[in-house]
Amino acid sequence: MSWEIMGHEWAVHLLSEHIRSGRVRHAYLFTGPAGVGKRTLALKFAQALLCTQPPAPGEFCGECRPCKQTVLQQFSDLTILQAETIGGEMKVDAVRELQHTLSLTPFEADRRVAVLLRFQEANENAQNALLKTLEEAPGKSILLLTADTAENLLPTIVSRCELLRLRPLSVEHLASDLTQRQAIPAPDALSLARISGGRPGIAIRLNSDSNLNSNRKQWMDHLLGLLPETLAQRFDFVEKQVKIRNSTKEERDLLRMRLREGFIFWQSLWRDVMLQVTGLGDEIANVDYRTQIEQLASKVNENEAARQINLLETTSSRLGSANIQLLIEALVMNLPTVQL
Amino acid sequence: MSQALYRKWRPRLWDEVIGQDQVVKTLQNAIRGERVGHAYLFAGPRGTGKTTTARLLAKAVNCLSEDPANRPCDVCENCRAVNENRFLDLIEIDAASNTSVDDMRDLRDKINFSPSQGKYKVYIIDEVHMLSTAAFNALLKTLEEPPAHAIFILATTEIHKIPATVLSRCQRHEFRRIPVPEITGNLRKLADGEKIGVDDDALTLIARQSTGSMRDAISLLDQLSSTGEHVNLALTQTVLGTAALQAVVDLVDALIAEDRAGGLQIIHNALDGGSDARQLARQTVDYLRNLLQVRVGNEKIVDATIENREKMALQAQKFTIARLVETIRLFNAAAGETRSTWNPGLHLELAIIASIEAAHPPVQAAVQPAESEVNLRDMKMPEFQAPSHPVNRTVEPSAVMKTSREVSASSQSGIKTTPVPQNPTGKPLSGLSAAPESSEQPAEASTTPGTNSLTMEELQKAWPQIRSTVKKAKAQTDALLLSAKKISLEGNRLILTFASDIVKQKMENDDNMEMTRRAIYHVTKANLQIVCTVAGAKTAKTDRGEIAREGLLDAALSLGGQIKKD
Repeated sequence: MSWEIMGHEWAVHLLSEHIRSGRVRHAYLFTGPAGVGKRTLALKFAQALLCTQPPAPGEFCGECRPCKQTVLQQFSDLTILQAETIGGEMKVDAVRELQHTLSLTPFEADRRVAVLLRFQEANENAQNALLKTLEEAPGKSILLLTADTAENLLPTIVSRCELLRLRPLSVEHLASDLTQRQAIPAPDALSLARISGGRPGIAIRLNSDSNLNSNRKQWMDHLLGLLPETLAQRFDFVEKQVKIRNSTKEERDLLRMRLREGFIFWQSLWRDVMLQVTGLGDEIANVDYRTQIEQLASKVNENEAARQINLLETTSSRLGSANIQLLIEALVMNLPTVQL
Repeated sequence: MSQALYRKWRPRLWDEVIGQDQVVKTLQNAIRGERVGHAYLFAGPRGTGKTTTARLLAKAVNCLSEDPANRPCDVCENCRAVNENRFLDLIEIDAASNTSVDDMRDLRDKINFSPSQGKYKVYIIDEVHMLSTAAFNALLKTLEEPPAHAIFILATTEIHKIPATVLSRCQRHEFRRIPVPEITGNLRKLADGEKIGVDDDALTLIARQSTGSMRDAISLLDQLSSTGEHVNLALTQTVLGTAALQAVVDLVDALIAEDRAGGLQIIHNALDGGSDARQLARQTVDYLRNLLQVRVGNEKIVDATIENREKMALQAQKFTIARLVETIRLFNAAAGETRSTWNPGLHLELAIIASIEAAHPPVQAAVQPAESEVNLRDMKMPEFQAPSHPVNRTVEPSAVMKTSREVSASSQSGIKTTPVPQNPTGKPLSGLSAAPESSEQPAEASTTPGTNSLTMEELQKAWPQIRSTVKKAKAQTDALLLSAKKISLEGNRLILTFASDIVKQKMENDDNMEMTRRAIYHVTKANLQIVCTVAGAKTAKTDRGEIAREGLLDAALSLGGQIKKD
């Protein structure tokens, strides 16, 4: 059974060669934007490492018990560690517990594999605590880390791992993969590939999760609807969208997550405007909004679009700490007034 | 599972330590003279040899070789024990995992026992910066006067986190980044030892990529060679995600030509071809930095082939130094950007847009008029006629008069100091000097009907458009307008209230006021006189917003209130 991963052929080749030639390292770090396939690749690699009856070296059968349990993330010698929530924090205690687990001999397989997901969410103490383990991992353990960028981790962590920077696939590549493997009709696959920016995970989610796509449309319509409005109307919008009075912490966390997602959609719209203004209209991602984007592009210039992207970026990064309503108000105030 | 090459090839003798001669010399002399200190602190970037040197030192002090100059000999019983990680008197502590004060107390309790195998007990405390403050303090006394048989070696990458009281008790050794030639030399030796086939240019790329860290370099080589194939430049580029140099050169060409579409296209092609966005940004910074070196006449230190050098010289001439610096700053920010990464190329794209925008200081924009945009500078418009209302109706007549005079003075000097031809088409900014003078006349000249009347409502509606018109002509003016605390209209005078005198003076400098006047005329066909004032500090705070449209004062006025002035 081959790995069946979309794209990243070089990485798959490299990892399976490591297994085949018996030169598996003790620590790997997979980086790349969300949805690019870091976790998938790490888990497939773990499966290949743990499989008891590989059909060929560097591959896995998918039939044996370790294989099946690894897929379900239930295998005894596989430890998966991640922050409790996305955007949460991985604490030092979790890392210490992992160190303890790794110091024990494997239960049934011949090695222990630990997968640490979204390691950028590990706080500084947790990262530091892992340093020595990463450098000289106990006995037969293998650590697989995933993170959004290597630059968000301590440099000392990165230099101890074998770094595999996963990159988004080219649009054509992803589209043809989607057509072949997920049986998505070619035109849809192309637009999914564009909207997802070459990230298979997002493309598949957009396709299967109708909520995500309708969310996207909703956010786009919000933005386009806000542009012609006056300040008072915009504030009204914020009042309706951001209900933080008397809200619980969970509700606010959910809201933050929703906003982060929405901002990405907004950014992609502004990026399209930027591309359209500069004359690269063929490459825009939100092809279903082409007319609006063209209209918008005739009214604002590329610098304004770039400014909006930066604003969204800043707002997104401040979401965790600042008053949400204030942030969003400041954001919509800064939108240009455009009659569409 | 094989051992990583960087662990396998950890230096075992002093001679094998690369690029840290100053440290190695000192330590060797200390061994030779048998004058080893009791506490060392090794600091430096990752992968420069701190842990390695610490272990070497531990080996050397316990070596059984007769000749002190020959220690460590790497053959005696103790040396072999250290190599095999079974030497009892070498105690390596991971300070990042054992941060608490209890861990240090434990160490303090045990340190008094004499060494069991060798002559000295050596404590290597790695990542020492992670110790808690209490732990550091608990260590202080022991560090100052340890028992005669104990040696401390602290190692850290973050020296600034170490308390001064600890620093002053240790001999401090700084480890430097290892230069590229020494890394390539060592990699070559290692590759030969491991029978790895690798090309020289691939080695150079690896060495550059590792920014002075030997561990990074060896890890990379290890990774590349792990498939068993011959390591060439192409393979290295795929795995590292570096783009071909040509992409970077083309990108810089696009920047010079101010071809936004071309620049974005180059990025897209490179990323689709498997380059990593951050790597591409870094490469661009590297290349631009080289251009800067060429530009300031430092060609010699630029490492490039002859053809590249010629191309660089050509490109460097097309940049001003200021623009190069700004462009480097922008791309460097893109390379270091750690915030959201849904689209890795985005920051690079923004850098291109911003750097081309930065290449257009607004004054030069007048020389090359942008297509289809209003050119405020060349716009034909009537001069400001006269104030529509008598001086005695103004709030602070003297202040207004003073303001006008200042305007006239500063704008005239502004013209003089601006070398760029302001107006190729022949209608100069004549209004600048004329307008304020006329405003000083106390005469009650009647307003020209139709051109000067503008209600607050209309102004509010037109304001965003006015702002954007101004912004296209001169971004600075727009920024100043944004910082106006209050904008009000009295007859045909537009009064801009600023929070501080500094901003007000900025607004009055150069042609800011003239630009605003022209923009208003362009959008509304009303010819207004613009007056800047400074708000009283207290009212300024309450009057926020572009136009205090929905403010309390406005509400009061619309309900029939009147403003009374003493």
